[in-house]
Amino acid sequence: MRTRREFLGIALLGGPALALAFRAGGADAGEKTPFRPNAWIRIDPDDIVTLTVGKSEMGQGVRTALAVILADELEADWRNVRVVQAEPSAQFPNLGTGGSYSVRGSFRALRRAGATGREMLVAAAAAAWGVDRAACRAEEGTVIHEGKRFTYGELTAAAAKLPVPADPPLKRDFKLVGKSMKRIDGPDIVTGQARYGLDVKVPGMRYATIVRPPALGGSIKSFEAVDGVDVVRVSAGVAIVADRTWAALKARDRLKVEFDAGPHAGFSSAVYEQLLADAAKDPGYLLRQDGTTTTPARTLEATYHYPFYAHATVEPMNCTADVRADRAELWVPTQAPNAVQKEVARLLGLSPERITVHVTLLGGGFGRRLGWDYALEAAEISKAVKAPVQLLWTRSDDMKHGYFQAASRHEMSGGFDADGKLVAWTHKKIASLHNARGTPTQAELDDPNYYRDSASWGVYDIPYTIPNIETRYVRVPTHVPLGPWRAVFSPSSTFARECFLDELAHAAGADPLEYRLKLLQAPDVLAIDDLKIERPRLRAVLELLRTKSNWGKPLPSGHGRGVACNVYDGVTHVAYAAEVSVVKGQVHVDKVVGVIDCGLIVNPLGVVAQAESGIVWGLSSALKDAITFRDGGVEQSTYLDFDVLRIDETPKIEIHLVPSHGDEPYGIGEPTVPPIVPAVANAIFAATGKRVRRLPIRDL
Amino acid sequence: MKARLIVNGREVSVDADDDTPLLWVLRDELRLTGTKYGCGAGICGACTVLQGGAAVRSCQIPLSDAAGKRFTTIEGLKNHPCQRAWLAQDVAQCGYCQSGMIMEACALLAKTPSPTDADVDAAMRDHVCRCGTYARIRAAIQSAAQLRSAK
Repeated sequence: MRTRREFLGIALLGGPALALAFRAGGADAGEKTPFRPNAWIRIDPDDIVTLTVGKSEMGQGVRTALAVILADELEADWRNVRVVQAEPSAQFPNLGTGGSYSVRGSFRALRRAGATGREMLVAAAAAAWGVDRAACRAEEGTVIHEGKRFTYGELTAAAAKLPVPADPPLKRDFKLVGKSMKRIDGPDIVTGQARYGLDVKVPGMRYATIVRPPALGGSIKSFEAVDGVDVVRVSAGVAIVADRTWAALKARDRLKVEFDAGPHAGFSSAVYEQLLADAAKDPGYLLRQDGTTTTPARTLEATYHYPFYAHATVEPMNCTADVRADRAELWVPTQAPNAVQKEVARLLGLSPERITVHVTLLGGGFGRRLGWDYALEAAEISKAVKAPVQLLWTRSDDMKHGYFQAASRHEMSGGFDADGKLVAWTHKKIASLHNARGTPTQAELDDPNYYRDSASWGVYDIPYTIPNIETRYVRVPTHVPLGPWRAVFSPSSTFARECFLDELAHAAGADPLEYRLKLLQAPDVLAIDDLKIERPRLRAVLELLRTKSNWGKPLPSGHGRGVACNVYDGVTHVAYAAEVSVVKGQVHVDKVVGVIDCGLIVNPLGVVAQAESGIVWGLSSALKDAITFRDGGVEQSTYLDFDVLRIDETPKIEIHLVPSHGDEPYGIGEPTVPPIVPAVANAIFAATGKRVRRLPIRDL
Repeated sequence: MKARLIVNGREVSVDADDDTPLLWVLRDELRLTGTKYGCGAGICGACTVLQGGAAVRSCQIPLSDAAGKRFTTIEGLKNHPCQRAWLAQDVAQCGYCQSGMIMEACALLAKTPSPTDADVDAAMRDHVCRCGTYARIRAAIQSAAQLRSAK
């Protein structure tokens, strides 16, 4: 990998490489601020095209998707395209990966950059041949004119001297975009050469682990030294530093330490559930109100319960830090390198540009690595022992001391008029806000609108046409660290919404899929805040699902089929039909058929992979384990008690993509999660007549 | 203790505590980082390597037991049918668990050249993949079986 310094040096020199800086997505897009590039492309005389971009690869295939977009517009030879990880700096001020926004937010900029490079190379070739540039064309890394051909590498020096065209034409037909492209990191992975955070080795490096108070909010009362290792008190507990990982891990068991359980020693899942139940009486904040109050002829009510979950990435949290008096260098699997840089700088009392952050591959992210806690810990330990240190969270640390997906309670009601028409819907979500990466300001807390985008995805944006809709959010303060998890606020809300809609369909004597279609009629567009939900797109997704899933075809006794759908972020439309069998109370999900409209499809192979991934993720939460608390601490410690879906529990998965339409791709990593759990719960009802209103699914 | 073992066909000597799990011998002493730590308790499968032809959890084998034995890690595979099949099926997502998956698949095919899906599920069920690549792993193992028999 080239370092930032080399790279910038070459860019400043101009030739012989052709280097272009541009902005790809991020919060600055569209703002009237000075141009601040956060991505670069460079074409070298050896024909290699390098895309440097600050998106973290955590399995979502972002490095592949972004390279495909660039290579297509640039007319590059795919075999010569490389992707290099950007690191935070003045040149890369706004890196970060989350919200299923990487492809969506980078698409236009990458195309513009690719088109710019292509036009400059074509212009350079035309000048060399002394012909009109309209008589030349670019194709797979070359420029061609009447049988003559230059490779891009032969043109870079000349192209770098040309003015940058203001408005280069975009290609009309894609070659790579829309084609199934295998991931660019595949060969490294299958040979063991891919480098994750824990694979970093730095000269003189030591290995560290932290013994933490088991109760959240607890502290260290006292501890004793352990032979052969360094033992230091740090913010999170007691750090053990050794010359080998094993020596550090072994010393954990020998460490004599006394904890103070702290103010939350009596906390448990039951305590939290009671807090939610008590808070349910509170009216909370009004998120959305459609229609005036109505008095339905018949009302149905239900309460849904959603637990805490861990991310449980297979690579646990870790960071390698080398802190010196006036600077620090970190190697960290992170989704938020700029935040790491800023927070480590604050911790050390240095300015951010003194902190170098190298982003490694991530052995899973799912939102957990938007946090910087583990980077701060590594920096703190390195400073204390005056040596480069690799901090390893054990599996147990990772399960017990991460931040969690918030638990919630959902109070639902639906009302029918005398003719049996659904005329009223209420959904009250009772939960706690994210608090692990900073807390909202008082002004935010007092603003009812804050609770829509910061807590209630899937609640306020219910896509169905019902004359009276009232949605609310009740906030329950908690000390439990909470933060983003795959699909963030949606999975809990969508579970409650899509299951309760199924209850209403059943009460109305209607087929649940047809009922949804009926509730997705005019008006075609639902606009709330910045969201614009196009009901015809969701209808089309459900209609295709009806066909592809053989909806309505009878299943054997003990088997059932369920449906659920969701529009994520107002743009990605996903519907699943799940087929389950229930034998002696044991649920097996046999098959899942999914239909997805994610706008323009960049890499179908990658989109389908993300759908498979989102389904397995959701099934883990439905069928396997949750995080529970007892005596102030997390009860689970490994994949035995926080089990996740295994290969033999994985259903047959069949994904259908609605053909690309429009000119914009939408996100896919998160949107594939929310509808799978309610689809399964509804299938269980179809199979058994029993409603699932609490996760994970137990005791049928 | 000082110990000799054979890793990827080469005899290596290491000097480490006798209870050091093979996982950390590979990663910290031999710098073969393709074998991954996931749980340290033999539960997740990320640390799987081959001992002879059998899949073992390297986090559960102390150096004292590993001494004198022959191991293959992901770095020791050279264009193995499983690696080719993994690429052809575009299995990996984050990739972290895949070394262990591939080593387990190698052991399965060595013992059961034409596995049924049930054989595959039984062999792979003690491996955790949080990205959910299971469906493609099934497909890749079947495709690797065909590559092997075509050889």
